Amino acid sequence: MTNEASLLDKYTSEVFAGMVAPVLEGMNISAAPADDPLVKEDVLFRMNTELKRALEKPASERRWVMVIDLRRCIGCHACTVACIAENKLPPGVVYRPVMIEEVGMYPNVSMKFLPRPCMQCENSPCTEVCPVIATYHNEEGIVVVDYDQCIGCRACMAACPYGARTFDFGQTYAEQLPVFEGAVVGGKTAAAYEHASQEYGEARPRNGKHESPVGNARKCHFCLHRIKDGMLPACTTTCIGRATYFGDANDSTSLVTELINKPNVIRLKEELGTEPRVYYIV
Amino acid sequence: MNKKIAYVLGAIALLIGLWGFYNRFAFGDENAAYGSIVVWGLWVALYFFFGGIAVGCFIWASLDLLFEIPALKGTGRPALWAALVNLTAGMAAIGLDIGHMERIIKAYLQPNFHSGIAQDVWGYTIFGLLALIALILAVKQPKNAAVKIVMALGLVVALYVAGAPGKLMGDNATRMYWHAGMIPVQFLFFALTTGAAMLLVIRGFFGMADEKQFSVLNISAAVLLVINLYFVWAYYSQSLAGNMPDLVNPINAVLYGQYSTLFWGVQIIFGAILPIVVLTQRRVAGGGALVGLMGLFILLGNVVARYLILIPAQQVELLDGLSTAFTGRGFSLAYAPSTTEWAVASGLLGVVILGLLVGADLLLPLFTKSQKEA
Repeated sequence: MTNEASLLDKYTSEVFAGMVAPVLEGMNISAAPADDPLVKEDVLFRMNTELKRALEKPASERRWVMVIDLRRCIGCHACTVACIAENKLPPGVVYRPVMIEEVGMYPNVSMKFLPRPCMQCENSPCTEVCPVIATYHNEEGIVVVDYDQCIGCRACMAACPYGARTFDFGQTYAEQLPVFEGAVVGGKTAAAYEHASQEYGEARPRNGKHESPVGNARKCHFCLHRIKDGMLPACTTTCIGRATYFGDANDSTSLVTELINKPNVIRLKEELGTEPRVYYIV
Repeated sequence: MNKKIAYVLGAIALLIGLWGFYNRFAFGDENAAYGSIVVWGLWVALYFFFGGIAVGCFIWASLDLLFEIPALKGTGRPALWAALVNLTAGMAAIGLDIGHMERIIKAYLQPNFHSGIAQDVWGYTIFGLLALIALILAVKQPKNAAVKIVMALGLVVALYVAGAPGKLMGDNATRMYWHAGMIPVQFLFFALTTGAAMLLVIRGFFGMADEKQFSVLNISAAVLLVINLYFVWAYYSQSLAGNMPDLVNPINAVLYGQYSTLFWGVQIIFGAILPIVVLTQRRVAGGGALVGLMGLFILLGNVVARYLILIPAQQVELLDGLSTAFTGRGFSLAYAPSTTEWAVASGLLGVVILGLLVGADLLLPLFTKSQKEA
């Protein structure tokens, strides 16, 4: 069979399956095992339940990990945008870019997408080089930045093997917008929204070019402020393909534990020995 | 005459620098060209450069004030003054580079001594204090035994801080181009070379040295330049032979790519080969402006050498597609210093020129009577 014929065969079969599916309702016919938890509920519900369970434990007994299923990622950048919105990231600051790579030659071409949050390395090169202990592992093992301690030397950025830190140069998206007094649109309203960051559970309006986090290195922190309130990281809840999973790897029954203990799981630059807490399913 | 020209040049450089300083203080790092990929730019290179000159000058001063080598008699105090002036410029460069310079106090109060930067902060501070004490003692009480004690302590610290910035880079295993054991050693020889070059500039343009002293300085500078060339050959040739892309690509950019003119033209030909040829000639043993000019060429070659160690290493993709995964300020593998960065560099140069001249006129006998009259 030619490639074209094979493709046609595959898709016509799927269209046919879609047409007959309503007829088969109630006949208990399923492609997936009946006890597969993914069939019964959205994984977000399961992860939320597991998150609340983990929060009942002492912080030091949790081991937050993120798992990204590259087979499911469609490169929509929703996670990038959600992260920017959640953390009110200014221009030039990004915590979770999605790298795109075109592979192959026509006609066998495809695209690879690789979301890259902070790897939250257990042996993190970035924390070692900080001269003032402004970046460190918190009690849950997440690498955090103390904005009031950071001197902005960018040594952590030079040291990170994953390029997971960006520098805040003090720009804002709203600074170029026209202002309409009393209106719900325009520069003032946009600025108020943009200045309402709650990162690390701290209100940090952006005042001028010199107040932190301006002049600091910034990075993904797995949305600690959301986790504290029992919510999953913004990138996880926003992923339309359910390609991002989050949870406690110290919980032997959690979804992430199931996923990371499979043979098709890798970590980026594992040979460096940084022990990332972000896993990729390939 | 030389002095008047130097005053004018220094004043112009500082004037340009004032605009850069204003820009930096008013707008933070916003107008600098470094970003989130090339995170360290021209100002960090200048920190390495001026800091290296400072340490090199101190080590040269120790040959006079500590070891009392007759051929270098009288070089100690001007070299110490030059060390302090260059140290000021170096610290200003790195202070302006960091996002929150007002928090540098934290590096003293809450240091992480695993960090190369914390080590540098403490090392340069102790070094600066010792250099200042040594200079005051050398001026006020030159016969006091304390001069030698302070110089001896300072020499130990100087030998450490000469290589410390190289270690700061070498510590970084993420950048293969920096992660080499010979980088700190190379920085020590950079420092010695620029220290000698600074003395050549001072002595060559402003006199007060006999033929014997010039012979020692000229030949020392030439030998140090040969050692520097040896380092370049050893590092680049073995790295190229290793054939790892993250290491080979920056070197290719330096040897054959966008930096080849800077490397071959400024660092190698003008900054090393020409001074070696000139300084080993018998006819320049008496000093003069040509020797001073060679000193300037060596300094210029060295600042380029520091730049070419610093920048190309950061222009390597850490992950395929990372530099194009997002757009905005600082997301580029390309780097060219901005106008603000150049202006600040000019200001720092002005500080050094004027600092040397003012110090020489008010504090130290850097110039001979005949040249003062000139």
